[in-house]
Amino acid sequence: MLPLTVPSSRGRQPIKSKPRPHSFSVPGEMLGEELAAIFGQTPSGIETITVRLPATKRGPLPSPWLVRDDTLLEQPSGLFPWSIETLTFDPYAALNLLLDLPVHPPHGIAFGSSLQFWILAARFSLEIVARGQFAPTVKDGSALWVPIIDEDDQNRLQMLSNDLPPSCLAFDGQSGSRRRSRSRWRDKDKLKPLQLVMSFINATVDALVRRSLIAEKIELKPSLSEQTSDKLPLQFLHALVNEDSLLEASIDELNAFSKKIQYWHTHLKPISPNSPFRTCFRLDAPSGQEEDGGIWQIRIFLQAKDDKSLLVPAEKVWKVRSDTATFLRRKIKNPQEILLADLGNASRISPQIEMCLQDARPSGIELGREEAYSFLRESAPLLEQNGFGVLLPSWWEKPGGRLGLKLRLIEPENEVDGDSPISRGLFGLKSIVNYDFEVALGDATLSEMEFRELIDLKVPLVRVRGEWVELPPDDIEAAIRFFEKKREEGRSEISLEEAIRLGLGAETIGGDLPVVKVEADGRIYDMLNRLSGKGEIEAVNVPTSFVGTLRDYQAKGLSWLSYLHNLGFGACLADDMGLGKTIELIAFLLHERAIEELSDPTLLICPMSVVGNWQRELERFGPSLKVMIHHGPDRLSEDDFEREAKHHDLVITTYATAQRDEDALSRISWHHVVLDEAQNIKNPAAKQTKAAKRLKAEQMIALTGTPVENHLSELWSIMDFLNPGYLGSAQRFHENFALPIEKYRDLDQAERLRRITQPFILRRLKSDPAIIRDLPDKVESRVYYYLTPEQASLYGAVVEDMLARIEYLEGIERRGLVLSALTKLKQICNHPALFLQDGSKLDGRSGKLTRLEEMLEEVIDGGDKALIFTQFAGMGVMLRHHIQEKLGREVLFLHGGTPKKKRDAMIRRFQSDGPNGPPIFILSLKAGGFGLNLTAANYVFHFDRWWNPAVENQATDRAFRIGQNKNVFVNKFVCMGTLEERIDKMIEDKKELAESVIGSGEAWLTELSSEELRDVLALSCEAIEK
Amino acid sequence: MMSGYWGYYRTDGPKEVEDGIKTKSRRGTIGEKWWSKRWVAILESFKMGARLSRGRSYARKGQVISIDVKKGVVRSRVQGAQSKPYDIEIRFAQIAEGDWDRATEAMASKAVFAAKLLSGEMPADIEDAFTEAGTSLFPGKKDIKTKCTCPDWADPCKHIAAVYYLMAEKFDDDPFLIFELRGKTKEEIIEALRNRRISTLDEDDEVEAEDEVATYLNDIPLEGRLDEFWEFGGSMELVGPRPRPPEVANAILKRLGDAPFSIGDSNLASFLPRAYEVAGRAALDTAARSRYRDIGPDGSQDEDD
Repeated sequence: MLPLTVPSSRGRQPIKSKPRPHSFSVPGEMLGEELAAIFGQTPSGIETITVRLPATKRGPLPSPWLVRDDTLLEQPSGLFPWSIETLTFDPYAALNLLLDLPVHPPHGIAFGSSLQFWILAARFSLEIVARGQFAPTVKDGSALWVPIIDEDDQNRLQMLSNDLPPSCLAFDGQSGSRRRSRSRWRDKDKLKPLQLVMSFINATVDALVRRSLIAEKIELKPSLSEQTSDKLPLQFLHALVNEDSLLEASIDELNAFSKKIQYWHTHLKPISPNSPFRTCFRLDAPSGQEEDGGIWQIRIFLQAKDDKSLLVPAEKVWKVRSDTATFLRRKIKNPQEILLADLGNASRISPQIEMCLQDARPSGIELGREEAYSFLRESAPLLEQNGFGVLLPSWWEKPGGRLGLKLRLIEPENEVDGDSPISRGLFGLKSIVNYDFEVALGDATLSEMEFRELIDLKVPLVRVRGEWVELPPDDIEAAIRFFEKKREEGRSEISLEEAIRLGLGAETIGGDLPVVKVEADGRIYDMLNRLSGKGEIEAVNVPTSFVGTLRDYQAKGLSWLSYLHNLGFGACLADDMGLGKTIELIAFLLHERAIEELSDPTLLICPMSVVGNWQRELERFGPSLKVMIHHGPDRLSEDDFEREAKHHDLVITTYATAQRDEDALSRISWHHVVLDEAQNIKNPAAKQTKAAKRLKAEQMIALTGTPVENHLSELWSIMDFLNPGYLGSAQRFHENFALPIEKYRDLDQAERLRRITQPFILRRLKSDPAIIRDLPDKVESRVYYYLTPEQASLYGAVVEDMLARIEYLEGIERRGLVLSALTKLKQICNHPALFLQDGSKLDGRSGKLTRLEEMLEEVIDGGDKALIFTQFAGMGVMLRHHIQEKLGREVLFLHGGTPKKKRDAMIRRFQSDGPNGPPIFILSLKAGGFGLNLTAANYVFHFDRWWNPAVENQATDRAFRIGQNKNVFVNKFVCMGTLEERIDKMIEDKKELAESVIGSGEAWLTELSSEELRDVLALSCEAIEK
Repeated sequence: MMSGYWGYYRTDGPKEVEDGIKTKSRRGTIGEKWWSKRWVAILESFKMGARLSRGRSYARKGQVISIDVKKGVVRSRVQGAQSKPYDIEIRFAQIAEGDWDRATEAMASKAVFAAKLLSGEMPADIEDAFTEAGTSLFPGKKDIKTKCTCPDWADPCKHIAAVYYLMAEKFDDDPFLIFELRGKTKEEIIEALRNRRISTLDEDDEVEAEDEVATYLNDIPLEGRLDEFWEFGGSMELVGPRPRPPEVANAILKRLGDAPFSIGDSNLASFLPRAYEVAGRAALDTAARSRYRDIGPDGSQDEDD
């Protein structure tokens, strides 16, 4: 059943005995067609079922997200049975469908929460199977694969089922033709979410395992000669890999067989499932400096399951006299027997634990070095898998705690010309450095002599200068091989690019030995140190030409950009939205102009929707920069462009234009090429990506709030633009990183990738404590945008019409005309459809809406929540529907007509629901102005303006008030060259007057002369998107 | 049921039982664990000849109608060739209290005894503990008195042997049963061991009980959740499914150990690794192939466009 509903006509009151069709359900046939068209899945049939769904006395209610007409959202008075048409799938096809769907649907499609829930549950099953957490068993005479749920998974399942949308419980498993009596409905209530989820996981795990075995025609059976014995085990193996899972045998035989299988499974039972504690083993390494290596020790504890740091030593357990004990305020029944049973189970896996059991009240055991090693290597992982707590010394799992190579990079001496790029401090990734190497074990460096001595000990754990280190035989072999190879080759060279990768990423070089450390001195040392984030980057002064002040982290961003520029490396500034990437870049451009006489201009490529914003921010913070916009039908062609561009500091163009005018842009050797919203080049095969990568510049810069949206290949593409070759070819990157990380979930490789890319990506999150300290609690910005041509022509017509008529009017009539024109203009700036009231499509017709969509997408990507204020209830309705459809997330809308009960419910949901609750709340300014507490939001958008700072602040304060623990980002939309910008500027200019002069709203505008009105309202040519 | 009256005179087969208790193993030895085998060995020491194998086939066929174990006594009903089932009683000599005390003392001196027993296994050197106490846990010939209402003059007869075999399988699952035959229930043994364990300690740790009550969402009826009827809760991100290969290959099989079945000379478990390999790989492929691939490497859920 796909729980999708769309609004249609109202239904009638349900008659209790006979479920009526649900008036908001989509006819099965239609749903099937949609599904086939969008997801390519065809159902096996259509069935009518009875489901209990919320309704009022007047009829059924639609599911809340998909409603265009808000008034349909009433408070349900109860649950009533309704009959709805559903699509049926064979179970495996349904599972495939679930596994093929994204949790958040593509734009324009909405999923019911129950569908999202089952998508996640299906993925849970997929994870269980991938991890091999399943086992064969017998149930009701069938041979089945069942999931083996360990303790962590159990907790996750519990969380998952706590999240089960109640609507998932609405179906009682009967189709409409076979109705149940009322009493059976009540029985259904007793089906607990966890049971429901478990039965789903059970069924899907069996299906996944079974299907993959059938698909590969696997037979789990011995060769023919052995098939002479007892029939049932053989049948069992056969039924595990076949469509038909039934075993054929008498009830007795099956019972007996099943009992034996159950008994076999007891080894898998999570240890002490109902206890707040689990048994935990800690291995302590010898601390002293004893000649023989000293004594190793295992100690036994009870460990609190909810706080793994709380340990109760076994000694304490043996002192309990009663049946029940309380340790660390947690109650445990029969602690001694639980501990003993656990020890009994552990002793089956670990010979070391078996040794402990020779004591009457075991609390631990002393071990020799070999025994300790075998515990670390073999027993500990198995104990952990069986659900025991295992605490091992920190050096054991420390990366680089093993045998490896230490490289020493050597700064080239002033060679023949005495002026190599490196000695001048200019590196460039392709320059060459020499290196020496040493063998490193843990933190120590060994001479070859020392190394040979250690090898002769022939023990897997050695102590080098007081530190324990693992020395597995394979590593020793690799080291010997490496020594011999290098002895032949002598001193070696690598590119700086590779040196950086090695220094940051611990890859291997020439053989199997990992490079555990890269050392360097002089300038190379400084560089590596700074690149890895350890060394402070030299601060550059904020250029005096920068108008305004940079916050500390913004100044750091400036220094960082400048530092990478000096090294000749490309840089990706990936700060969160709202932290000021734009002004960091403006400061950097000014800085570059200040320190060097420059002739080369910088090229900035960005989406159309932010061109206006760049223009305004440049005017405000860097008015000394000569900026040229290259866009639209009137833009300069090749020769003119080249000449003109060279007289500017910055050329701004859009991605589309950059691709079209690649020839013109390539004529110039740019100082920087900057990509704003660099995720636009995430697809390496796209034309605009290729065009951007062909441009030549001294340094490439990428700005983005989301360096990786979906796939690692996007990161590769951005890095390939910034520092071509650093991450290798796309193919190699796919093999080394994308495949292991995305397909095999290789966390080590993910960490390695993070380390080697980290020097070139500066990403500050608004949740970083340092950023929070640095930012004011409330960050206000203006979002500048253009009108679309449609908006502009409507706008112009309204202004002309008003100016034409106003000459003949006076007094109240004149004021009325001005006010009505103002309203119309504001409506047009919002969206033509709001002005036209024609219910037409919204897409691509409003610059404001386009920008809002982009920004909301980032809000949602970051897991944040936003408030949107508008004065027009009609705009709210349109926004709600449009955003829900575009972003696939529920949007709440509160307006003057919302009843109190519903308002309270919306506020509660917005405030309390987690990341999957409604992330966006639209409020009409009037309704939202009073007393509401909406601190779950940390973004506020003023979609249109009240032009009364007091009113707007009051609205903003819904989010910015006591209880808010994040910085609040306030965005006010301003359309360039229209009344929005002019009035905004007037308010800014006379802030102190604001209260008295314009505090009362828009009335003051009606007092302006016709000429003044023309100045305020008329459209300037820059307002239009070309 | 054709045997009926005629069955009385026939010596070639007993009357069929509909819900009899049958052995789990159809062939070969009965009793998988060493202690069950040890038990069967006692029976086999009676030198019963052909009666032994007939007893075994009775056990396999399901001629035993009921088995009831009380302290020291096993009572059973077995369907033979006659129309009425035979009543069987097997009495075991009880270990004297003093011997129990000494044996418990010996067992309490090493945690391995209690630990193995509580995890469902008979400790390997259990016999030593009882020998030390001057007794034996496993009954000898002389410790067993058997009675059967069948006309067979031999004791033990095949009916008793059948019960014996079935007992062996019960021991497989519950080693404590052997203690019960010798006069102590599982609870008594556990308690005795615990008392020994703590008898040497000071009374310094008083332990108090503490009550905690947790309410679960599960208990709220659907009607009470109308406000959130279409919503899902907030912890989804924490669950974030992340298909990935296992840390240790075949970990479940390693934990399971040998199955209680063999096929020919190979244990049933030895046929399973291939299934894990194939299914695990297929699941990873599915995750990687998934059209939207929004299962990020860190489990984060991204949107596709």
